[in-house]
Amino acid sequence: MRVEIVVQTLPYLVRGTLSTVGIALAVIVVGTAAGVALGLLRFGPWRWVGALVAWLVELVRAVPLLLLMFFIFFGLPALAIKIPTFPAAVLAMSLWMAVNTAEVVRGGIQSIPRGQFEAARSIGLSELQAMSYVIFPQAVRRMIPPFVGLCTILIKDTSLAAIIGVFELTRAAQETIERTFRSFEVYLTAAAIYFVICFPLTRFAQRAEARLLRP
Amino acid sequence: MTAYGFDWAAVVRGLPYLLEGAGLTVVISSIAMVLAVLLGLALAAIAQAPGHLARRLVAAYVEAFRNTPLLIQIFIVYFGLPQLGLKLSPFLSGLAALVLYAAAYNTEIFRAGMEAVPQGQFEAARSAGLGELQILRYVIVPQAVRISFPALGNNLVSLVKNSSLVSTIGMVELMFVANDISFNNFRTFEIYGAAAVIYVVIVLTLTRLLRAAEGRLLRAPA
Repeated sequence: MRVEIVVQTLPYLVRGTLSTVGIALAVIVVGTAAGVALGLLRFGPWRWVGALVAWLVELVRAVPLLLLMFFIFFGLPALAIKIPTFPAAVLAMSLWMAVNTAEVVRGGIQSIPRGQFEAARSIGLSELQAMSYVIFPQAVRRMIPPFVGLCTILIKDTSLAAIIGVFELTRAAQETIERTFRSFEVYLTAAAIYFVICFPLTRFAQRAEARLLRP
Repeated sequence: MTAYGFDWAAVVRGLPYLLEGAGLTVVISSIAMVLAVLLGLALAAIAQAPGHLARRLVAAYVEAFRNTPLLIQIFIVYFGLPQLGLKLSPFLSGLAALVLYAAAYNTEIFRAGMEAVPQGQFEAARSAGLGELQILRYVIVPQAVRISFPALGNNLVSLVKNSSLVSTIGMVELMFVANDISFNNFRTFEIYGAAAVIYVVIVLTLTRLLRAAEGRLLRAPA
């Protein structure tokens, strides 16, 4: 164990970290927007659209993120759709984020008792109004803990982008190890950086969940 | 730009090798599942011990392993530990990392489940003359497992998908085989597509099994 290695390599790892944070933010914005849309479509007036979305979400969720990434980066060029590493990784992760967010949205909405919807309809609100003013605002509160949990998993999983060669924290660690041959120290430092980012989010999700359980 | 001619025969040729990889994915996932459930249960029970020390040590383990990427954990075990004189095969390294990662989530799930068992249950069991371990074995754990089951099931499904990461240290499971075949015959679209279908079959089968088990668990008498 050599501590000076950690100090020497830290600036490069921090550069990787900035890229990791950038990727995560981009994916959270794109993936969440798409996921909320997908999740809400399941409750829309068109039955077959809802069924199709449910089916698609279940299918994509069953495929490992690493395979989604390889499919988009190595598989799509076969159809003459060639995407560079960075957008390919962001696209794969956004797809992953979208289907998982859709599940969170579905769970949140279904956790609101049906009576709320019926009551809203009986006082004359349309289906859309009942959803927008009665169901969704209550459901959002319940979606926050699992959604934040999802974001933590995503931040950790941005490390998979290193496998197809995207420069982020894990890739920065790998490059550092190619120069220093100190895999233990460098990977441990990288792990510590991920921890510093993820731990506060995990804590926040726990607190938010505890607050929900309190009457 | 030339049109790509699909060659689905490549999938047929690669199928025996893909299924072999899928077999190893199922094997490593199953072993990891059993170990991760047992370790999670044991640690959650230890965390219930009187005093702060046990609870804090378990919490430190849980937070360390669930707030860092599995990929980095796999790399630390496989590339990092040999530097300290501990050299494990790709299989054991991958298995160890998968178990430690999943068990951290399981511990938290079981701990929450145990804490959800009403306090009166402890008191009733104690007044019926049961010892601490008996209370855990016959009263708390059976109820905690029921409460925890849905979350546990989700985590086990994630474990199967996460097992794809051990391909990066050279374990010849489904993901590795898909890479191996498609880098050789360049039928990337067909082969990755086939691998995705196999993962979907494995994961949906597991989901159905878990749902059936949950149904039986809820119907069974306490």
